[in-house]
Amino acid sequence: MSEPTTTGGTGGAAVARPTILEASGVTMQFGGLTALNDVSFGLSEGEIIGLIGPNGAGKTTLFNCLTGLYSPTSGTVALRGTPLPQDPARVTEQGVARTFQNIRLFPSMTAEENVLVGRHVRMKQNPLSSLLHGPGFRRSEAEAAERTEKLLAFVGLTRFSDELARNLPYGDQRRLEIARALATDPSVLLLDEPTAGMNAQETEATRQLIFAIRDLGISVVVIEHDTKFIFTLCDRVLVLVQGEVLVEGTPDEVRGDPRVVEAYLGAPPEEIEAQVNRVQVPGVQDNGAQDNGAQDNGAHDNGAEDNGTQDNRAQDNRAQRNGAPAEGGEQA
Amino acid sequence: MTATTERKPRHAAPPRASHGLAAAAGIATPLRVAGGLLTVVGAYLPWATFVLNQGPYPAQATLEFFTVPFGVVEYRLHLLLFGVAAVVLALAPVPAKGRILRAIGWGVVAVSVINGIWITAEGGGLGAITASDGAVAFGAVVALIGGVLLVVGANAPGLDPVPSWNWRFSWWLEWLVLLVVYALLLLLVAAVLTSGGQGSAANVYSGAVFVSFLGAVGGLLGALHASGLLGWVGALSERHRVFSVVVLLACALLLPLTQAGTEYWMTVAANIGVYAATAIGLNIVVGLAGLLDLGYVAFLGIGAFVAANFSGAAAARIGIELPFPLVMVISAVVAGIFGAIVGSPTLRVRGDYLAIVTLAFGEIFVRTAQNNIGGLTGGSNAIPGIPPVSLFGNDFNDALTIGGLELPPGVLYYVLIVLIVAAVMLVFANLKNSRLGRAWIAIREDEDAARAMGVRTGPIKILAFLIGAMLAGLAGAFFAHKTATVSYESFRFLESVTLLAAVILGGMGTIPGAVLGASILFVLPEKLREFSDYRLLLFGIALILIMRFRPQGLVPDAHRRAELAPETADEPPPPTSVPAVAGSAEKAGQA
Repeated sequence: MSEPTTTGGTGGAAVARPTILEASGVTMQFGGLTALNDVSFGLSEGEIIGLIGPNGAGKTTLFNCLTGLYSPTSGTVALRGTPLPQDPARVTEQGVARTFQNIRLFPSMTAEENVLVGRHVRMKQNPLSSLLHGPGFRRSEAEAAERTEKLLAFVGLTRFSDELARNLPYGDQRRLEIARALATDPSVLLLDEPTAGMNAQETEATRQLIFAIRDLGISVVVIEHDTKFIFTLCDRVLVLVQGEVLVEGTPDEVRGDPRVVEAYLGAPPEEIEAQVNRVQVPGVQDNGAQDNGAQDNGAHDNGAEDNGTQDNRAQDNRAQRNGAPAEGGEQA
Repeated sequence: MTATTERKPRHAAPPRASHGLAAAAGIATPLRVAGGLLTVVGAYLPWATFVLNQGPYPAQATLEFFTVPFGVVEYRLHLLLFGVAAVVLALAPVPAKGRILRAIGWGVVAVSVINGIWITAEGGGLGAITASDGAVAFGAVVALIGGVLLVVGANAPGLDPVPSWNWRFSWWLEWLVLLVVYALLLLLVAAVLTSGGQGSAANVYSGAVFVSFLGAVGGLLGALHASGLLGWVGALSERHRVFSVVVLLACALLLPLTQAGTEYWMTVAANIGVYAATAIGLNIVVGLAGLLDLGYVAFLGIGAFVAANFSGAAAARIGIELPFPLVMVISAVVAGIFGAIVGSPTLRVRGDYLAIVTLAFGEIFVRTAQNNIGGLTGGSNAIPGIPPVSLFGNDFNDALTIGGLELPPGVLYYVLIVLIVAAVMLVFANLKNSRLGRAWIAIREDEDAARAMGVRTGPIKILAFLIGAMLAGLAGAFFAHKTATVSYESFRFLESVTLLAAVILGGMGTIPGAVLGASILFVLPEKLREFSDYRLLLFGIALILIMRFRPQGLVPDAHRRAELAPETADEPPPPTSVPAVAGSAEKAGQA
């Protein structure tokens, strides 16, 4: 579609800071479907990067690759120059924590216990001391409990500490997920749509929370559809379209970039015509590939599914515009 | 003046109540009183008496025939007490009496239905209503109506939440209360265990008496829970946790001094202990880590066969005799190794598929043992003649006399299994409240999220299998010496299913649940010899009913209770009930 553009000059300060997380050439294929194609970016210490793009652009797939849930088909992810292992548990140990797009708390555990599970990786407690409850055990439990209390206070959930996670209000569940991720003492935090389904006030509170997390020295990557939220939060924004980095730059640069507008709102009419002409010949073939993709991905993953829907949607758009060009023009 | 002001809030209390409900509330008290009175009348009406006699119906020509149908003992005494209590409660100002009466009503229904069914099946049918007809079930019908009226009357005005009491006394008084409660618990357990006597061809009604007694005890405990007293005692035992544990252990060890102190009951109790320990081990795998294991009894079998082979029994392939404590350790380790082997597919296999893998393992074990592959299991000849455990030349089988106290044969085995079960409980409780236990629960809740939180799910799942299997192996070593014969027949699929049912029935993830479930499921067959043909049928029906009406199990985990019982979720959370439960668990453990 278009070349990934790296717009340099993300503000002098950011450039001066060392890179903590670096993805280079990450490509992820599911069968014949390419969910991510040669994605590269670097995250500096204390930086907040926003990841935006239409549904199915591969944002969550990228997160899964960064955290070891997927092994990228090619490309590497490195934390402070060391390649990350292909195992979520060990990635978390190294200091990359995440939240999930569809909240994945431990529903039948209390808020406190959820955060305690996050402490798992940092607790010094082997099975034998778990069994015997010796002084070492008590020390580590006390440390974990203290840390948990602080984290719950940090995200403002102290009053819910003994409540089952499933019973928390929606927004608080998202907050609890963040507290749980923070409990692993990450140096990089990946937030997947942290404000989905929130009202304006809650969104604002989340923004402040993310700033506070950044101030703890933790670098943050945020996936979000709310572009206003992203543009007012992030130091840098990556626009991912169909598995490729379309634009990268400061919020101002990205906001003004016509390609971003195009990716989100559709191309101006004359370009659509051009596109339709370009696509129509191999159209039948395309369809076949898409169907296969859609079936496959049901079996294994989100990212691929998103891609499938995305393609279908693009196709719908095309059809619609062919049928009613006036309307299409109006939209654009 | 004061009277009216006091009354107002009482009337205003249920403003949500519609007219229909208000009308129902008006007739609630008469309904309750009528139910109580009918229950009393039912207790005094003639009933078939062979159940009472635990034997054949008296000959119609004898005088006994005319007196016995009216004798108010056993279940009729229970009904009488329930009826009187219901009448008193219906008229007395007691908080949340609706729930108490409902529990009593269900107790009455249970007792009447159980005895009524027995009388109908064994006697002349429900139509026979006079003493001279030969079989008398009329009392059952009247008492049943009384029970139904009680339940309806209790439910009519809507139920209040269970009250929670916050009485506090000085520590010695609280200790005294706990002592009394635990002593009563001991007596209750002994009474339940021995009620109906030993089921046999000569005592075919033991099942009726036992089940009826269970129904009555259920009604009683339900009423106590509804009154908030159980919750209060639970809070009390939580405040004095160490004291409670010590006293409960002591109570468990005192069981041989009650009416259960005979060789037969000691054996039954020891068997229950074996399955309780195994069920707790299974509870780690299923209840905590959420890994369904359908072949778990194999680990009990492995422990038993290992112990048999190191026991010096003539039939054993390995002719070495090792001291029992060492044998226990070896059995546990070997079972644990097999546990890890069986658990290893969990790295790749999840959910239903894992259940099938474990099912297959259980079958492989049974077939291997049956065909004596490797010559370690004795095949269909089993391994007989395993010598009893002995200490200082004193066989654990023998009767024991301490001072002037004569203890029944097998009492030492009983003491040993109580200690083993206590140790297993300690392992379970300590692990559950640790980093490892939280990791298990996290895996049960959401395995992917657990991995994303840094839990290395593979080793931790295998550890669940390993530790669970070790506990079963430990119980197996005891089992081998206690029963003296180890045969593959004790470790078949049905036993695995029963253990799983015990865990689910009792309440997943809790110690008392596993112990209570194991006790019920392994005592019932002893009592219901008469119904051995229908045992599985009844067992299945009972499980279906429990899963439908109490999916969280008899003694649910605090979390699971909130999850599965929305009705009770809005009650004030009883932080207390967990310890109480721990108490009753240990109690049941000794049973």
